[in-house]
Formats: sequence, structure tokens, C-alpha cells
Amino acid sequence: MNERFKFPADREARNAARTKALESLLIEKGVITGETVDKVLGVFETKMGAFNGARLVARAWVDPAFKERLVADTPAAIAELDFPECMAGAEGEHMRAVANAPGVHNLIVCTLCSCYPWPVLGLPPYWYKDPTFRARAVREPRTVLAEFGVQIEPSAEIKIWDSSAQIRWFVIPERPSGTESMSETELAALVTPESMMGVALPRAA
Amino acid sequence: MLTRYEHYAVTEMLGASDTPPRANGALYFGHPWERQAFGVALALSKAGYFEWGAFRGNLIAAIEAWEQTHALDDPSWDYYECWLTALEKTILETGLVTSVDLGAALAAVGEAPPLES
Repeated sequence: MNERFKFPADREARNAARTKALESLLIEKGVITGETVDKVLGVFETKMGAFNGARLVARAWVDPAFKERLVADTPAAIAELDFPECMAGAEGEHMRAVANAPGVHNLIVCTLCSCYPWPVLGLPPYWYKDPTFRARAVREPRTVLAEFGVQIEPSAEIKIWDSSAQIRWFVIPERPSGTESMSETELAALVTPESMMGVALPRAA
Repeated sequence: MLTRYEHYAVTEMLGASDTPPRANGALYFGHPWERQAFGVALALSKAGYFEWGAFRGNLIAAIEAWEQTHALDDPSWDYYECWLTALEKTILETGLVTSVDLGAALAAVGEAPPLES
């Protein structure tokens, strides 16, 4: 009997069928190949993303000398690790790291968000482009941080860094307590992109 | 300075009505077909078959069409379904595939052809 009357009832299955049909047709016509989708997503999934930043922070936590180099000359320190291509490209060479410490909390504000430290943090969250967030973060950082669930002691200094086309900042958060026995890989899992922008603390051990 | 196409395309959508779902600094795909649809759109635009702005125009229109016929918190909302609709429309507009070819490909998996607009 005619196959065209067997419509899958499930909506997800229908959309999956539509997508697959479209992709197959394009492959058949030689417009794309079977590898095209993975190659495009690879930029987001394996090359440039928050997993890179997490590795940098974990290394900084276990190796204080590396942490110093990461702050002093960020691109050079990044190049020490074996990252995939694109880390030190046109968007990577102007990245600079700042370190949180007892009594010092760093907060990054992005103006245009075309200058986010993409290679180490992945996609900017959409509220980062919000002019209200940006204005308030500069004017009343403690309040904004409290709204994000980050309580900063009154005696601690808050440093605000405004990313621009010239320099894209990111934060090396403080290492959470109780993590002395953790491996670098385990430590990297505690690092969130928000903690590297200064609007969150790393996950607890 | 955005020198990677993928980077440019996604960042352009930031803060706009058609920005894709994210989780923890990464694109969020609820199902493999969503990831596929995303990848196909980006790849075709990168290769020059259509302007990213043209695709986004269709995506924004699809989202608005849904919003005009649903309550904004209606759980039937599906971002990537709008994406797929916009992708089919954009591809047909470019003449990259004909509506006959696309109709046949969809029929082969039991799907109706895309609606004429």
C-alpha cells in the first residue's frame, strides 16, 4: 500500500524524518557530504568552548607557576597546552586572564559581545549583551552579583574588566576547598563558564 | 573581529528573538535532528547558498507566526521546528532544490510537502 499515508504520530519523529530527508537530498545532490554537519558542529563541540577554559583553570589550580604565566602572558600560556586549532587565532591572541584571590573578585562585562573570549568560554549567554546588565554591573556590582547568587564580603575588592575588541578578559576563579585530592580532569568539571566571567563561583567539590 | 563564520552567525543572533537555546556556554540540542538542522543551515550559508540574514528573516517570521497563534507559554513551542520550517523555505527560495524534489524526498519518509507560502 502507499507509504505516503503512514505519517509518524510522534512530533519529534516527524521532525527527525523531515530533517533526515532534507539532509539526504542535499547529500544526493552533492551540496553537502555525510560529514558536513559534524564538521560544522565540531567548531562548537570540540574546538572552541567552555571545556577549553575549564582545562586552563584546572591546570592553574594544580600548577601555581602556570597560573602566574596565564595571568602574565595569556596567549603564551594557552599555547603550552595541547589545544585544537583556533585557540590562538585572530580571536584568541587578545585574551587575558585575571585571577580571583582572597579579598579580590573579578567581574567581566562584555560590551558588544563580538569580543567574548569564545575559544575558552564558548557562546556568550544572551543576557551579556543586555545594556541594563552591563550598566548595572558597572554601577552596582555587589547587588548584581548578589542577584546571581554570589555574595562578596564587604571588605573584598571587586574589579570590573570591560572586554573590547582589543582585549577579551576571563577570570581564573579560586579553587574550591576540599578539592586537594582531585585530578585535573575532576577539577575541570567544577569550572563553569559563568565562574570564568565572574558571575558565579565554581561548583563545590 | 569575527573571522570564523560559525562564530559570526551565532553571535549575530545574540539578544534577538531568534537566538538558539543554550546551556552552560554551549548550544543546546534536545534531539539529534535539531543538531542536524542547525548544522545544515550553517553549512549551506557558509558555503554561500544563502545569506545568513535571509535564513534569519525566515526564522524570525516562523517564530512570529507561532507567537501570533499561541500563548507565549504554550508548551507546544519548539524552536527547532521553526528552524526547520525556515530552512526548508530558505532552501526553496534559493532554488538549491526544487519544491518537486523536496516534496518527493519528504513523501518518501511519509511527510507532507512544505506549505506553499
